[in-house]
Amino acid sequence: MHPLAWFAWVVVASLSALLTRNPLYLVLLFGIALLALEAVSAAPRAGQLAGTERRGRATPVSPVRFALFAIPAGAVFNAALSHFGETVLFRMPQGWPLLGGPITVEALVFGAVNGLVLSTLFAAFAVLNVAVPVRDLIGYLPRAFYPVAVVAAIAVTFVPSTQQQVRQVREAQAVRGHRMRGLRDWLPLFMPVLIGGLERALQLAEAMTARGFAGRRANDAGSAPAGSSTAQVGTIGGLGCVLVGSVLRLMPRWSAWSTPLLVGGVALVGWAIWRTGRGVHHTRYRQHVWALRDSIVVVGAVVALVSWVLWPASRAYAPYPRVAWPGFDVRVGFGLMALILPAVIPAPQEEAHADDRV
Amino acid sequence: MGDTLVRRLLRWLVYLLASLLGVGAFLYPFFAREAGAEAVGAAASPVFLTVLGGLSLVALLLETQGEATADAKRIALLGVLIGLNAALSFLETALPGPGGFSPVFFLIILGGYVFGHRSGFLLGSLTLFVSALITGGVGPWLPYRMLVAGWIGMTAPFVGLLVRRLRAQARPAEIVILAAFGGLWGLAFGALMNLWFWPFATGAADQHWQVGLGLRETAQRYLAFYVTTSLVWDLARAVGTAAMLVVFGRPTLRTLWRFQRRFEFQVIATVDGAVTGDDAASVAEVHA
Amino acid sequence: MPMIAFEHVSFAYPGAVSPVLRDIDWTLVEGELAVVAGPSGAGKSTLLRCINGLVPHFSGGTFGGRVVVDGLNPLTARPEAMCWHVGFVFQDPEAQFVMDRVEDEVAFALENAAIPRHEMRARIEEVLALLSLERLRDRDLATLSGGEKQRVAIAAALALRPRVLVLDEPTSQLDPQSAQDVLDTLAQLNRDAGLTIVLAEHRLERVLPFAHQLVHISGQTTQGSTSLVAGPPREVLSQIELAPPVVVLGRALQWSPLPITVAEARRFGPSSTKRAAPAAVRETGQETHGLLCSDSAREGAMAAEETTVRAEGLQVAYNGRRVLDDVALDLHRGEVTVMVGRNGAGKSTLLKALVGLVPLQRGQVWVGGREASHMTVAEICRQVAYLAQDPNALLFADTVMEELLITLRNHRILATDAPINPDALLDALGLRGKADAYPRDLSVGERQRVALAAITVTAPSTIMLDEPTRGLDYDAKAHLLELIHGWRNAGHAVLLVTHDVELAAAAADRIVVLDGGTIVAEGRPAEVMPMWPEFAPQIARLFPGTGWLTAEDALAGLQP
Repeated sequence: MHPLAWFAWVVVASLSALLTRNPLYLVLLFGIALLALEAVSAAPRAGQLAGTERRGRATPVSPVRFALFAIPAGAVFNAALSHFGETVLFRMPQGWPLLGGPITVEALVFGAVNGLVLSTLFAAFAVLNVAVPVRDLIGYLPRAFYPVAVVAAIAVTFVPSTQQQVRQVREAQAVRGHRMRGLRDWLPLFMPVLIGGLERALQLAEAMTARGFAGRRANDAGSAPAGSSTAQVGTIGGLGCVLVGSVLRLMPRWSAWSTPLLVGGVALVGWAIWRTGRGVHHTRYRQHVWALRDSIVVVGAVVALVSWVLWPASRAYAPYPRVAWPGFDVRVGFGLMALILPAVIPAPQEEAHADDRV
Repeated sequence: MGDTLVRRLLRWLVYLLASLLGVGAFLYPFFAREAGAEAVGAAASPVFLTVLGGLSLVALLLETQGEATADAKRIALLGVLIGLNAALSFLETALPGPGGFSPVFFLIILGGYVFGHRSGFLLGSLTLFVSALITGGVGPWLPYRMLVAGWIGMTAPFVGLLVRRLRAQARPAEIVILAAFGGLWGLAFGALMNLWFWPFATGAADQHWQVGLGLRETAQRYLAFYVTTSLVWDLARAVGTAAMLVVFGRPTLRTLWRFQRRFEFQVIATVDGAVTGDDAASVAEVHA
Repeated sequence: MPMIAFEHVSFAYPGAVSPVLRDIDWTLVEGELAVVAGPSGAGKSTLLRCINGLVPHFSGGTFGGRVVVDGLNPLTARPEAMCWHVGFVFQDPEAQFVMDRVEDEVAFALENAAIPRHEMRARIEEVLALLSLERLRDRDLATLSGGEKQRVAIAAALALRPRVLVLDEPTSQLDPQSAQDVLDTLAQLNRDAGLTIVLAEHRLERVLPFAHQLVHISGQTTQGSTSLVAGPPREVLSQIELAPPVVVLGRALQWSPLPITVAEARRFGPSSTKRAAPAAVRETGQETHGLLCSDSAREGAMAAEETTVRAEGLQVAYNGRRVLDDVALDLHRGEVTVMVGRNGAGKSTLLKALVGLVPLQRGQVWVGGREASHMTVAEICRQVAYLAQDPNALLFADTVMEELLITLRNHRILATDAPINPDALLDALGLRGKADAYPRDLSVGERQRVALAAITVTAPSTIMLDEPTRGLDYDAKAHLLELIHGWRNAGHAVLLVTHDVELAAAAADRIVVLDGGTIVAEGRPAEVMPMWPEFAPQIARLFPGTGWLTAEDALAGLQP
């Protein structure tokens, strides 16, 4: 699937998780994310040999395990600190600072819901982490961040070779009688790796220069580019607007002004990024094919988002003052179900390979 | 390279505003409560805060990347150091000591200290970016983590000011100051990161019943939250980072200084077809 | 119209006392292949880097004179522009990769130059086909062999369609098969694609057959200019000292025209010359060694039968794949054992197994008479010095002397109680006066000797070297050979793993051939080496059946 389609999916899924505190929707979202994770984990990865696709990439913690920790922890913690609600389970002695007071079912439920929000976020991003290869995550950084993207690409390339070097150094030091006894004994392992890395950075820089890479200097011939000052001013203006907007947001009398300022500020910073990007001249070799499947997934994400906007009534849920069963709007439920599309649309067998080539 | 007063002023203005915004994003829940507005729920929503933190990060990246990646040498240096540091983060499990300790802060601090605030910011933020990529840790919390780690590298050159004032270069005091700096950031990193998911833990967002809870109570609650959930981890991080600086600081610094001269090197003049180069000790990165 | 022209070129690195190049004149015609040879430090790399402006733009320094390449002056054009005219490939394939997949790596320079995507695709198809990399296009670079990696680096350099390709010792980090792979590719690029190629290379015997020009740089002459000889290989070879064995032999016997390959030399070889009895040669050689021995060495020789390391029935597996299978090996005092074998035959694994770095599935190792499974790696390595392929993994101290002291400290030996005086050891290794130098500033050969000093300061009974000739020039190799003979004469057991058949022939008392994890042949070099064509030195191939291995053997045999 196209990385941009995944980005759209994960944005909507995590936004949904952040917008609602209704545990029924959250459980639904969590389940959808788990199914999607299952689907992408099972799919063969494009353009890589079997067995090498996970090289240098550690296995992330499973969202289920995360939830098993986060939900009880959130519940216990909130119940211990928040003494609101009417269904009292028992009372802690009043004298205890913070902990003292009634322990309520409401506080337990609220804490558990918070844990569920975090778990759902975690699951949604776990899908992204597995579905989109590291290279593409870097490749879709905005053009203005090309230098950062090159740095990140070098770093990703360098990680596995560093690990290999650590092994080599460990052997080399072991044959000199090196033993691990304390913190100081890490030095003979760390220093050769650091020095070797720095030497290699010089060689790499030379190789990049020989292949025409000159960094910023190539674009502006040694002088400060005019465009960058303009972009700088734009950034400053944008940040200023957002800063003022956020402060005004806290003042009931002025809060009407806040939204336009925030939107304007974000737009200004966005313009500054676009402006900087215009000065960066490079092209991309890899191109992903936008298939029907991707459009379907994006439409699904939009449907989910729209269902929140159309039927917001059941979105909020608070167990206080007395815990009650949360409402469930079937229409919203169906809307959210549209997020399950990436897990159920079958991937054409050949597409996975074709999208790297074209 | 065109480092005029105006440009320097603009640059520091970006740093200042972006950092204010970042700090603001972290502390927003406190103010939101203090204001006691009806809008608190929406005002302190995680979506809004993520946008603030993200903007701050983006502005700082945009500003620092220009000079810190001006030539292939600095790009390669940053890439390699970040890769090395991200690989180190795999060692977390192998290193002795309680969880929470992470070896990445060591190189972020020393890298920022030696190569300047811009390289420091990129070293910090991109180390966390790359290790998130390879460990599958990309998430809405990532901009916050990158921002704080970037600040660590960015503020490291301030240690240099203090060291120079005390004339402690290449003396044990230099390492002691760096270790103290590392220890403080080790604690602060955890405290700031907790602020990100604190609203989830205590439900800052839609708790109309809690409106009016004063700044003092909020801070108290946060303190309780902090002490119970992460103080142990943060102490491990602080002590670990400080210990690494004490034990490995001197030899690492010697190596970094040794190589810094090679990386900062510039060809500075062309006369009659003869190009002469000199060690550019006063490259913008250094005196900034 | 020459493709490359140097006029009175001089260059000094920043802070250097004397220039590395002085008053160089040199031209190369379009479509020719030039091989640049000479000892390390004579300025080969510097010369190559002048061609695309890396010198002085990347290195800094003071530059004089004029270079014209493809009608452009690299000094004013800068490397960023020269990349369209000159492709550059470096020594270590891994240190020049930015990306981690073949296609991405080839595309990097094109992306950076903002080439439109459709043109990028055409160019990438073209270079992938040219270097036969189509099948590897989607591969992860880390999974490629050294030779394949270097071919990817060449493809990446050619993506910008330069007319000149410059390679700085591209095979020095590779095993013989990979090196041959790369060199064949270059010959084909020069022949079929008409590319002008400048190649710095130590393995002259492999490249001379297809070189049009040989450039030899050998440091400064008395007149103060850099001594540079350039011309057709046959002419230049007759003037320079360092040369492959056939050339040495041909020069000594005044063969004309001077043969530069074994095939050419066959005309003068076995049929046209008398030869002495083969067995005698080797014995005479050993006799000489005996005579040259000092008293202590004589003791060593007397203890020749004493076994220092003994292995029996070794079996090692990685990830379920058997790497060593039932290997038995003894190392004796006063004997140099050389182990040869193809890539992946298990040579490095065997060395690691002997010092306890890899777990044994089966079998036993005895070190100094003790069963090694009860000893720590540190205890074993006090008696068995093991130098891994990359000596850089060992060195991290601020001074050479500190490296020695660190090893002593590791073994909890006081510097005053060291079995060998560290200063004397440095002297013996040709590192006098380098005790306070930063190890990483030294040349490849010197770094290797520092690493050797660091592992032999405990006076081990056995010394094992894994591929010690990587990146070494003829001088450094000769120095290494001297050291190996010195250790043998002092009564050490030496185990040498190498792909360098000429060094193996010169050093070995005994040859062990490892293949597929088992020892397939073992015996005296004169008996074993000629039986294995890929491990036979030039002289053995030239005089089959004689048992001669080196130019000295042949000279002694031909002129009794």
